[in-house]
Amino acid sequence: MNISMSSPSATLARIGPPLLAVLAALTVGLIVIVGMGAALDKALLAFWRGAFGNGYAISASLNRAVSLALVGIGFVIANRAALTNVGGEGQIAMGGIAATALCLFPPIAGLPLGLAFVVPLLGAALAGGAWGGIAGVLRTRSGTNEVIATLLLSFIATWLLYWCVQSEALLRQPMTSSATLPESLPIPEATHVPLLTGSYSSPVTLGLPITIALAAVAALVLARSLFGFRLSAVGLNPVGAARAGINVGGHIVSALFIAGAFGGLAGGLMLQGEQFSLKAGFSSGYGFDGLVVGLLARNSITGVLAGALLFGFMRSGGIAMEMGAGVPSALVSILQGLIVVLIAGVAYFQDRRSVR
Amino acid sequence: MSFELLAVFLASTIRLAIPLLFAATGELVSERAGVVNMSVEGMMLAGAFGGAVGAAMTGSPWLGLVFAVLTVLPIALLQSVLTNSLRANQIVTGIGINILVLGMTTLGYRALFGARSREVIPGFDAVPVPGLAQLPVLGPVFTQIWLVWLAFLVAAAVGWMLSRTGLGIVLRGIGDDPEAVAKSGAPVGALRHGAVLFTGVMSALGGAFLSIGDIHTFTEGMTNGAGYLAIVAVIFGNWSLWRTVLACLLFGAATALQFQLPALGIVVPNALLIMLPYLLAFLAVAGLVGRQTAPRALAQPFWK
Repeated sequence: MNISMSSPSATLARIGPPLLAVLAALTVGLIVIVGMGAALDKALLAFWRGAFGNGYAISASLNRAVSLALVGIGFVIANRAALTNVGGEGQIAMGGIAATALCLFPPIAGLPLGLAFVVPLLGAALAGGAWGGIAGVLRTRSGTNEVIATLLLSFIATWLLYWCVQSEALLRQPMTSSATLPESLPIPEATHVPLLTGSYSSPVTLGLPITIALAAVAALVLARSLFGFRLSAVGLNPVGAARAGINVGGHIVSALFIAGAFGGLAGGLMLQGEQFSLKAGFSSGYGFDGLVVGLLARNSITGVLAGALLFGFMRSGGIAMEMGAGVPSALVSILQGLIVVLIAGVAYFQDRRSVR
Repeated sequence: MSFELLAVFLASTIRLAIPLLFAATGELVSERAGVVNMSVEGMMLAGAFGGAVGAAMTGSPWLGLVFAVLTVLPIALLQSVLTNSLRANQIVTGIGINILVLGMTTLGYRALFGARSREVIPGFDAVPVPGLAQLPVLGPVFTQIWLVWLAFLVAAAVGWMLSRTGLGIVLRGIGDDPEAVAKSGAPVGALRHGAVLFTGVMSALGGAFLSIGDIHTFTEGMTNGAGYLAIVAVIFGNWSLWRTVLACLLFGAATALQFQLPALGIVVPNALLIMLPYLLAFLAVAGLVGRQTAPRALAQPFWK
C-alpha cells in the first residue's frame, strides 16, 4: 500500500510481470477450452455467470476471496521477518476445530451483543496463532526450519480435524444410526457470522469488512509502525537486529503467531459463515491457495487483496464452467499453477535488476 | 497376531512403502545437493498418470513405465530450471508445480479416458521369488512385483554412491557449501540439475508403481500426499540413506496397520495412524528425537 511513494514506472515494473503472467495463463486456458472441443462462448458465459452472474455467485466468490486474503496477509507479515509460513492449511483446520468446539459449547451461543459469534472467531484466531507460534518457538529454541515445521504441523492439524469428526468423544455428532455422517453437529444460529445483506440469496458475510479492515491495519503496521520496522530488521539481518537490541526470538514467534492467527480466523469464518458444521476435508486447499496469493503479492497487502479476488472469482467461475459447459474445473488449477510458476520464474529478472 | 496375518502385514508394509522409497531415494540425492523439490508430489502424480496412459495405450506395462519417466522428465526439468537457473523460491515453485500437475492430470485423464474411467489398466503382476516364496510363514512377503526389488537395489546403489564415490562427496559438498565446491572447479549448476532430474525419474517410478504396479488403474489426485510423505521420510531419516529407507518402511507399516488392526479387533483411531508419520517427523525436527542435521545450504540458491 505504498504506491503513493513510488513513481509510475516503478509501479509498472512491480505489477507488470504478475499481470502478464495472469494474461498468459488465461490465454492458455482459452486454448485448452478450445482444444477440448468445448464451445468457447458457452464456457465463457458459464464462467461469467458462476463468478459474477448474480448476488449469490458474487457473494460466494467474495467469501472465497476473504479466506484466501486472510491466509495471504498472514503470509506477507511472516515473510517480512524472512519467515515462510506454508502451514496455512493446518492453521485453518485448527481455527475450524476451535470455532466448532466453542460454537457447540452451549453458554457461548447464549452470549449477548454478538459475542456469540465473536468469541468463537477469536478462539479460532488464537488456535491458529498457537499452531503457527509453535513453529516460531521451535525456530527460536532449536533452529528448526519453519518451512518444514509449518508443513508438518499442517498435516498433523488436517488429520487432527479428521479425528475430531470421526470420534464421538470429540466433535462428531451423536450416532443415531449407522448412516450418521462423520461430521459435527450444525452450530447454533446465534454463532453464525452475520450476513451483510441479511439474505441468504447473497450470503456475503461480515468477514469481508473485517478482512478489509485487517488488511488496512496490517499494511499500516508493516509500513509505519515500530513493530513493522523491527520485523524487517529481523528479516534482513537478524544478527544486526540483535545487536541493536531487538528481541529477535520474540519477533520470530510473534510473526508466525500472527500469520497463524490470520489462518485460524479464516478457518473460523469458513465454519461460521459458510459451512456451519465441521466435516473432513474442511479446508480443501485454501491454505495452499492463500499461500500462493501471499507469495504472488510480493510483500504488498494491496497485491494480496487483488490476488485473492482473482483466485476467488476464478474458482467460482471454474466450478460453474464444469457444471454449465462440461469443462473440468481442474482447468482452474492449471491456470493457478501456471501463474505461480511464471511469476516465481520472472522474479529472478526483477530481483537481479534491484540487487545487482 | 497369527503368523498368516503377520505375513500379510509384512507384505503390505513393503508394498505400501515402495512408492515412498522410490521418491524418497530420489529426493534424498537432491536434498543432499541442496535442492528441495516440493514437486515430488506432482512428479509422482504425473508418473502415475503417464504410466497408466502408456500402459493403456500400448497394452504393455513396460512401455507404461517408459511413458511415466518421459512424462515426468519435462516437469523435473521445469523444476530444475526454476530453482537452479532462475533461482526461484524452491518451496513456492514446487507447490505451484503440484497445483499445475493436479489440474493437468485430472483434465488429461478425463479427456483421454472420459466415460471409461476406472477401467482396469494392464499392469505388472506379482511374481514369487523362487525358493523364498515357498518359505512356510514368510512366503507371501516374497511374492511381489519386480519393481519392489528394483527400489531396494537403487536405494542401496544410491547409498553406496553418496558415501563411497567421488560423485557422492561432491554432491554432499554442494549441499553444504556450494561456493567452496565451485571454487574447486566442480560444475555445481550441472550437478544440481542432474540431481533434480534424478529425483524426477525416481518419482516417476514411484508414481507408476501406484498406478500400474499396485492397483492397475488411475484415479484423480491418486498420490494423495504420498510425495509429501516421501519428503517427510527424508527429514525423519535425517538425510541419511538407510534411515530414510527405514522411515519409508515405518510409514508403510503405519498405513498397513490401518487395515490390519480392525481385523484383529484392536480399536485405534484411524486418524492417529495416518498422522503418525508426520507426528514422528515433527518430533524429530523439533529436536525431541536425536539431533537433526540438514544439509547446510538446503533450499538456498547458488549464485556464481
